[in-house]
Amino acid sequence: MLLYNLITLLCVCLMNDVCKALSVHPLKTLVVFDSRLTSLQDHSEFLQSLENRDHELVFEQVDHEDFDPQFYFLSEDEHSNLYDNMIIFPIKTKRGSSSLTSSKLLKFYENGGDVLAITSPVGVTDPVRLFLNQLSIYPAPKGYILRDYFNASDEKKNTFAIAGSDSLNDYVFNSSSDAELVYSKGSSALLGSSDLLVPILKAPSTSLNKNVNDEEWTIGSQGYLIAAFQNLKNARMTWVGSDKFFANGLYESNNKAFIEELTKWTFREKSVIKVNGAKHYHADKTSYEELPYKTTDEVVYEILLSEFKDNKWIPYEGTDVQFELKMIDPYYRLTMNAEENVGESKKFTTGVFKLPDHHGVFTFQVDYKRPGLTYVESKSTHAIRNLAHTEYPRSWEITNARVYLCSIFAVIGLWLVFVVAFIATSKKVVNKPTAASKKNN
Amino acid sequence: MVDKISLLKTVSTVLKVVIFICIIGAATSARLFSVIRFESIIHEFDPWFNFRATKYLVANGFHKFLNWFDDRTWYPLGRVTGGTLYPGLMTTSGLVWHILNNYLGLPIDIRNVCVLFAPAFSGLTAIATYYFTKACYHNDEIAGFLSAGFIAIAPGYISRSVAGSYDNEAIAITLLMITFFFWIKAMKTGSIAWGTFAALAYFYMVSAWGGYVFITNIIPLHIFILLLMGRYNHKLYSAYCTWYCIGTLSSMQIPFVGFLPIRSNDHMAALGVFGLLQFFMIGDYIKSKISNDNFKVFLKTSVLLLILFGVFGVVGLTYFGLIAPWTGRFYSLWDTDYAKIHIPIIASVSEHQPTAWPSFFFDTQFLIWLFPCGVFILFSELQDEHVFIIAYSVLCSYFAGVMVRLMLTLTPIICVSAAIALSNVFHGYLRVRNDLSGQGMKLKGFANFFKISTKLIVSSTFLGYLYLFVHHCTWVTSNAYSSPSVVLLSGQTNEDGSPVYIDDFREAYAWLRFNTKEDAKVAAWWDYGYQIGGMADRTTLVDNNTWNNTHIAIVGKAMASPEKKAYEIYKQHDVDYVLVVFGGLLGYSGDDINKFLWMVRISEGIWPEEIHEPNYFTADGQYRVDEAASETMKNSLMYKMCYHDFPSLFGNSQEGNDRVRNAKIKSSHVYDLDYFEEAFTSENWLVRIYKVKDLDPEGRSWKEVSDFEKESSATGGNSRRVVKKPKIEPRLL
Repeated sequence: MLLYNLITLLCVCLMNDVCKALSVHPLKTLVVFDSRLTSLQDHSEFLQSLENRDHELVFEQVDHEDFDPQFYFLSEDEHSNLYDNMIIFPIKTKRGSSSLTSSKLLKFYENGGDVLAITSPVGVTDPVRLFLNQLSIYPAPKGYILRDYFNASDEKKNTFAIAGSDSLNDYVFNSSSDAELVYSKGSSALLGSSDLLVPILKAPSTSLNKNVNDEEWTIGSQGYLIAAFQNLKNARMTWVGSDKFFANGLYESNNKAFIEELTKWTFREKSVIKVNGAKHYHADKTSYEELPYKTTDEVVYEILLSEFKDNKWIPYEGTDVQFELKMIDPYYRLTMNAEENVGESKKFTTGVFKLPDHHGVFTFQVDYKRPGLTYVESKSTHAIRNLAHTEYPRSWEITNARVYLCSIFAVIGLWLVFVVAFIATSKKVVNKPTAASKKNN
Repeated sequence: MVDKISLLKTVSTVLKVVIFICIIGAATSARLFSVIRFESIIHEFDPWFNFRATKYLVANGFHKFLNWFDDRTWYPLGRVTGGTLYPGLMTTSGLVWHILNNYLGLPIDIRNVCVLFAPAFSGLTAIATYYFTKACYHNDEIAGFLSAGFIAIAPGYISRSVAGSYDNEAIAITLLMITFFFWIKAMKTGSIAWGTFAALAYFYMVSAWGGYVFITNIIPLHIFILLLMGRYNHKLYSAYCTWYCIGTLSSMQIPFVGFLPIRSNDHMAALGVFGLLQFFMIGDYIKSKISNDNFKVFLKTSVLLLILFGVFGVVGLTYFGLIAPWTGRFYSLWDTDYAKIHIPIIASVSEHQPTAWPSFFFDTQFLIWLFPCGVFILFSELQDEHVFIIAYSVLCSYFAGVMVRLMLTLTPIICVSAAIALSNVFHGYLRVRNDLSGQGMKLKGFANFFKISTKLIVSSTFLGYLYLFVHHCTWVTSNAYSSPSVVLLSGQTNEDGSPVYIDDFREAYAWLRFNTKEDAKVAAWWDYGYQIGGMADRTTLVDNNTWNNTHIAIVGKAMASPEKKAYEIYKQHDVDYVLVVFGGLLGYSGDDINKFLWMVRISEGIWPEEIHEPNYFTADGQYRVDEAASETMKNSLMYKMCYHDFPSLFGNSQEGNDRVRNAKIKSSHVYDLDYFEEAFTSENWLVRIYKVKDLDPEGRSWKEVSDFEKESSATGGNSRRVVKKPKIEPRLL
């Protein structure tokens, strides 16, 4: 519910900006880079593509002599962000350490900022690494390089091609595309078992990530080249283990389409859904407020979902939206059917179903969490009461009870007959003593 | 002459009325200590539920009340409250409120009706006791008045009926005495009318208190003893059959009772005696028709058949589950250790503990030794109705010894028996007029003087006892039974001499009421469920109704588990706040740490493989809370919540002093809370409320979050030079 509120709040707040921005939130994007490792000229095409998508880029060069080590990307109380997105290129300086700490990065992320973190074998700085570790992404530390001795296209064995169809998440990049990506001078990461991780690209099975001391970090497809994370507040973070991946040469030749999709996903320009309202009511359309539910009532649950795509909200097409009626455990788990479009959203409904024959406080909820897609949740808790004493069938409506009813009325009838017969046949007794005692009183 | 008699009659009637008014005045005023000393407030625990139910009744009407499904308790199960309560108390006070407001035009708050309900009904109890004693003992008015006076101020009864103690017992004792009065009348006269009245009073009693089972058993017992004594007559037959049929049928109209009267073994005695009476009646009839020898043969065979039929019947029905097995509460009446071993939830209630002997004296003072005298006097006469009092005394004396709360049912009969004994004493010794005027036996000067002085000494001694009794009762009432337990007295006074109150409970409940969401769920040990519902108006998981042992065990398990486990349990149940009562700072011994072992025992009963009571003791079997406490104890949620930040309260020494358990609490062994955060602590730390944290947005456990935060604040978040390969679980995707 809170989540839902947050999303709607976010949406309402940003309604004015939506027509301008391509994302569900504004696109003021901070780019942190280190000119000793990354030259912006080498990435100009990538950055240009962002600007073409209405990103307002703000650059922060950590090795510049004017660089303020106290640069701010969080508000003073740390409860809100000064930027909407952040792109971190590989950095190695420690000058930014007082402000660019892992906990501040995490704060930025938790406040709803989307992060694209790029590391390279020479640029894995501690704050970024520790931040990633908190999201259960464990990139190889400095000095580890991913090589593929079988399929690499260069002498150092660290540039190799990956099929676009290897993409692990269709919401990020459609695996049916026939694009061929080139990954170069990069590193790989181990992933933890968090449910919120969105793995995107695995390292080739013939690859090996090791340092000069021959210590391995990942072997074969154990490692990941690109991985993302979406937290419960729906902020997104994508980690890429190579900055060369974005460089002009490879961008133009191979990676453009993939990077476009990847950054769109990261900055919530696509694969975003929201709940536009959920309601439940009796099968005859009376609402809970008018008539509270009781056991075995027939009810309907409906939810409206829409998806943000190409700069506008459209009805969400999904086939796996499930409804749950639960009291600690689910009593029902129903896959909802898509019905007609209502404005910009799609109506999903459970159809008429019968409430369990069990009173209690039940939660009507849709908890739709798919890796790669915004998590949506809609909950409402309502009591299902027991039958009132007048709501049970009357005795004469139960055929089995008619035997007893007959016997009761037979006894009553016969008793009356007996009394009448007894009185009629008994002799008259004159009760003299009673009369006498009355006199005395 | 006629005028003189009628004048005397008038005077005696006026005197009677005046005495009644005095007794009612004494009964009512003795119960008002708590209102004067504190305020007009509902006491303790159960009354808060009754109060809440009454408010619901007044607001929604009887029909809705009867079908009330309460979704604010026992979350998420809810409680079919209308079908699981005894509605007599609420309907009565609702009716009183209705009459006062709508017919008499007295706009009085329902709370005041509820607070003053028990004192008002204690006056009625006194009147009913007067008639009961009179009916039982030769129309002896002195005994009647004495018993009325005793019951009016006996602490044993006051303990459950002070102003604000708005509990079922408040009305039940009144109804108990009324039912018994009608029953004595019915069995003495054999009148169907009195029998019907007894049945109706019994119905009212059934609607008011679960203790009605006592009547259901004592009346058949009375009949049974009379039958064994060979005192069968038609009066008994018609009185009992009328009472049983009407009483049972009407009692089944109470939803909570339902079909119990024909299924539960508690009610089988009444049914059995009903059947037995029919056989006696038939036997009586046959005896008058056939010869003596034939009758003896008939008697022997029929008795044998009956016994066989009866035994096999009961065993068979129990075996096939048609009648309920003997309930746990029933077993605990016979074996005081039964509950402790098998049903900790029953044993954990303090009023289910065996009575300590001094409390008999404490609750009834000199009546306790007059009581056997009264029973003896009745035994020496042994009329039919005397048997009732004797059976009642014997049965109740035993039960009161087993369970503290049954002291309440014993008190009326103590008062009655003692009044009979005292009335006999006064009959013999207080009448000195004849001796003084010399019209009595002609005795010589010295002997007469001796006789008169004996009488005076005995009488004045007993008058002295009576004076002491009043003194004792007032003292006990004022000191022991007049605390609302919601508000406490600190024993200190302000500068102006007014007492200092400890009002932490209401402070905390008010905080909950005004600072949390309306649908917030609060987990607390069941003792506080009714109060949270009544005062804070928040949804609770468990309360004093204790109908679902498993649900209570869930809360107990969470309290006894390490934080992580507890967090899972609470999240599963949508809990927002956890409330604990901690008396360590104040020296309030009834706190949750002292109740903690019951939580452990109750949850161990359900999850024996997860919770082990011995783990909460030190290696040498002590229950400690200081440094020596076991690790399981220190890691349990209850311990952490109670002592969270407690040592730092004592300045720099980092060593707190728990005044209840007299233990030194050091900050080194009070571990950090990660999954819960302190939301509120009352002035004297009596009530502490913790908020259950939301899930971490990144899906980490709060332990990991707190480790991360500690590390990053210690190192500035950046320096961890050596990077080791993490040990990670295999991914499923």
